Amino acid sequence: MSQRIYIFKGFERFWHWSQAFLIIFMLITGFEVHGSYSLMGFERAVDTHTFAAWTLVGLWCFAIFWHFTTGEWKQYIPTFDKITDMVKFYAIGIFTQAPHPYKVNPNRKHNPLQRLTYLGILAFVGPLIWVTGWFYIFHDQWHAWGWDAFLSLEWVAFFHTLAAFIFLAFVIAHVYLTTTGHTPLAHIKAMITGWEDVD
Amino acid sequence: MLKALLGFVAGAVVVALVGWLMMPSLMFTERVSPFGMEETIARIQHNIEDNPALKAKGWALSGLRNPARAVQTDGGNVLPVMMIEVCSTKYSKPILKEDTVRFLSILMPCKVSVYKKQDGKVYIGTMNAGLMGKLFGSLVGDVMSQVAEDQKLFLVMDPSTPAPEMILPQAAPAAGGGGPGGGC
Amino acid sequence: MNNFERFAGLVVAAVFAATALGPARASSDPSPAPPAKAAAAAPGKPSTSTADHGKFKVLQQGFKSGPEVTKACLTCHTEAAHQVQGTQHWNWEFMNPKTNQRLGKKHVINNFCTAIPSNYEFCTACHVGYGWKDENFDFTAQENVDCLVCHDTTGTYRKLPGWAGHPVYQDTEFPPKSGKMVKAVNLADVAQKVGKTGRNNCGACHFYGGGGDAVKHGDIDSSLREPARYLDVHMAKDGLNFTCGDCHKTTGHAVSGSRYNPTAVDTAKHIRGKEDGNAAACQACHGHAPHKEKTRLNVHAEKIACQTCHVPEFARGGKPTKMLWDWSTAGKLKDGKPFKTKDSGGHDAYDSRKGDFKYETNVIPEYIWFNGQVDYTLRETKLDPTQVVHINKFNGSPDDGRSKIWPIKLFKGKQPYDVGSNQLIVFHTYGQDDSALWSNFNWDKAIEFGMKEIGAQYSGKYAFVETDMAWPITHMVAPKEDALACKQCHTAPGRLDKVPGIYMPGRSGNELLDMAGWSIAGLTLLGVLGHGAGRIVASRRSKGHQGGHP
Repeated sequence: MSQRIYIFKGFERFWHWSQAFLIIFMLITGFEVHGSYSLMGFERAVDTHTFAAWTLVGLWCFAIFWHFTTGEWKQYIPTFDKITDMVKFYAIGIFTQAPHPYKVNPNRKHNPLQRLTYLGILAFVGPLIWVTGWFYIFHDQWHAWGWDAFLSLEWVAFFHTLAAFIFLAFVIAHVYLTTTGHTPLAHIKAMITGWEDVD
Repeated sequence: MLKALLGFVAGAVVVALVGWLMMPSLMFTERVSPFGMEETIARIQHNIEDNPALKAKGWALSGLRNPARAVQTDGGNVLPVMMIEVCSTKYSKPILKEDTVRFLSILMPCKVSVYKKQDGKVYIGTMNAGLMGKLFGSLVGDVMSQVAEDQKLFLVMDPSTPAPEMILPQAAPAAGGGGPGGGC
Repeated sequence: MNNFERFAGLVVAAVFAATALGPARASSDPSPAPPAKAAAAAPGKPSTSTADHGKFKVLQQGFKSGPEVTKACLTCHTEAAHQVQGTQHWNWEFMNPKTNQRLGKKHVINNFCTAIPSNYEFCTACHVGYGWKDENFDFTAQENVDCLVCHDTTGTYRKLPGWAGHPVYQDTEFPPKSGKMVKAVNLADVAQKVGKTGRNNCGACHFYGGGGDAVKHGDIDSSLREPARYLDVHMAKDGLNFTCGDCHKTTGHAVSGSRYNPTAVDTAKHIRGKEDGNAAACQACHGHAPHKEKTRLNVHAEKIACQTCHVPEFARGGKPTKMLWDWSTAGKLKDGKPFKTKDSGGHDAYDSRKGDFKYETNVIPEYIWFNGQVDYTLRETKLDPTQVVHINKFNGSPDDGRSKIWPIKLFKGKQPYDVGSNQLIVFHTYGQDDSALWSNFNWDKAIEFGMKEIGAQYSGKYAFVETDMAWPITHMVAPKEDALACKQCHTAPGRLDKVPGIYMPGRSGNELLDMAGWSIAGLTLLGVLGHGAGRIVASRRSKGHQGGHP
């Protein structure tokens, strides 16, 4: 055990966990609305899904502001440096107790795979689910705004659901990968306290 | 050791969860009737009333309940639901005599529920008497397993026979058979 | 009351209805005019009329017939007969402006009692006139207008089938050979007590359409005479207590609302009175955005008729409605005599005169796109006997921009058609002659007589064709808490399963996407579980080698 470094700032941790909660909640309610199962009832699922969506919108307003004022957005600039090392590590090294090829520090919190994945989520899947979600929310206004001429609820729902499936896969992988620190709970601890033990 | 214990506990929890999830479908059964409300009710009633084997075992209709009517009286709507009540003292007596299981009188009389659902079909709901009985020792278990056997005869639906007349409880001398409190 | 009636009454009372202890009647009774129970249209309400008809000298005379009463009425109400003579209630004729089809009872052939020609005396018991016994009826004679049938408040004015629209002027055994007597009407008494049209007046015919209580519409039957709140939130006797006319606003004897030319999509800007439109439409009172809290429902209402959610089932008053009428089995005799069989609820399942029936209460409607245009299969329409013939096809589509999803009763039947010409047949059901189906059970004679009566060619060969007829469901509006819940449609299978052309979350998704999506999520889960298991195994091994935590 060597030094501890402060990686995740207070707002970041708050943003992460509230977002995590909201996304999981919206996955649960969303797939109920989709008709995949019955849990709380369609009407309540729709209501709470919509409410959670607006909460997340609010959260994101703050998060975007925070990322730009603090320069943290740079954490998501993609890099292919060491990316093969990362892949090799997850494919082989992790089973042979090989050292992690990437050392985090407060200026480089995410390893190259994380950077790429998060950028993909933030830049593509996120907007896809946002935009389709808004179309969905404002479906009742399509006619008034003249949007019904070029929008079809079926396709809006298709892409919204598609994005949701990607989010679901992401959440599963993401939760698992948190256990790949030097101890299974190390990453999670870091996201709770902000401090990460670094070898 | 700890891991083994944890594993055991986890296993037990999973089994309990599965059991809990399956309980409702094990304790009760539901099937679609090929007939409408009235005809389904009438056929079940006559299966009971007209079968000498069941008569010999003491089975008789004891009521026809309409819970939907109470809802209507309160100004609300529910799809039709009717409960055929049927009882045999041959089965109820041993249970009612035994203090340790007398509380099972809450399951009496035996009920068959006939109801319509959103899909427009008529369903028949029954209690899984055999399984239910097993939970309460050998006396009740024996009685209830016989009830379960008899219950199968209640539910025979033979489209080749003509639709019989529905039997209405009380104040219907012309309707014959199965008056109030019949059987129990 | 005979045994059957008592039994039917008990079935209804004991089984389905909370309030059916009223005048439960057997559905097989051919009389469309019921013995009205409540005397006044709105009991308990004192009349606010400025005229007491009991004080008019012209009404204090020993009337011998209906037309005599009408003449007396017209001495003051000089324009009334003219007004009535301009209505469908009088002419039984309607020119559909959308399809240019000539409709109305005078012309259509339905799949209940089928057609009026050759059966006038029977059918015209429900005509607002006197004496329409054949095609020579004088539609211009003012004294032929029947004022009393709509304005009687005593409940003693009954028009029986077979009397061509006249009430009985002498005590009469009815139905014939039944041993039951219908008393002669006291015309002076009825005339002196006339009042506003109430439920019993409309109901005398409209509750009993199709030959018995609840038979035809499914959402209009005698349970609406004094309905409880659960059944009809507008007409509830302890609630708003509407009469028919409160919605079917009537001006100069012209009644609003039409089934031949229904308002499927109400676009009028009215709250009643401000703009012309169908005064009987829901929107005429409720407007276009009636959901104040759940405003999303107002958007639903752009595509869905109010009735779809607010009349969740029809025939909820305990009176079973007829769902099927198969004429092809009519005419069977037992020992040379006609007979009937009953179903489990005591309703006619077979009648030698009419064939096989099916009844149902609490019926879940069919749902269709409907734009208000109805195409009838008329006498002259050529039909395809290999297909189900739509007596009245309700048009609509998800894409035409003028349709809404409507609940309907789909009434199925089988009736004769001319094999030579592939057209529906008019046949003779009722009469004292030897050709009437109901007396002699001979199809050939009945058809020949009926076709001759309308002057139509008949090939001499008939067969039976399957038919269906749509009836819009709009009455029996349930309390709002009993409107359909989201889940009843937003699910699979749900209420709107057969309605094409709309995407509804929860009902239909892209199956391919679902399969792919769940596969990806499942594979991801499998992948991480496998990866995790591998790590555990690897860590065990290395522990075995090195001992201690990595």
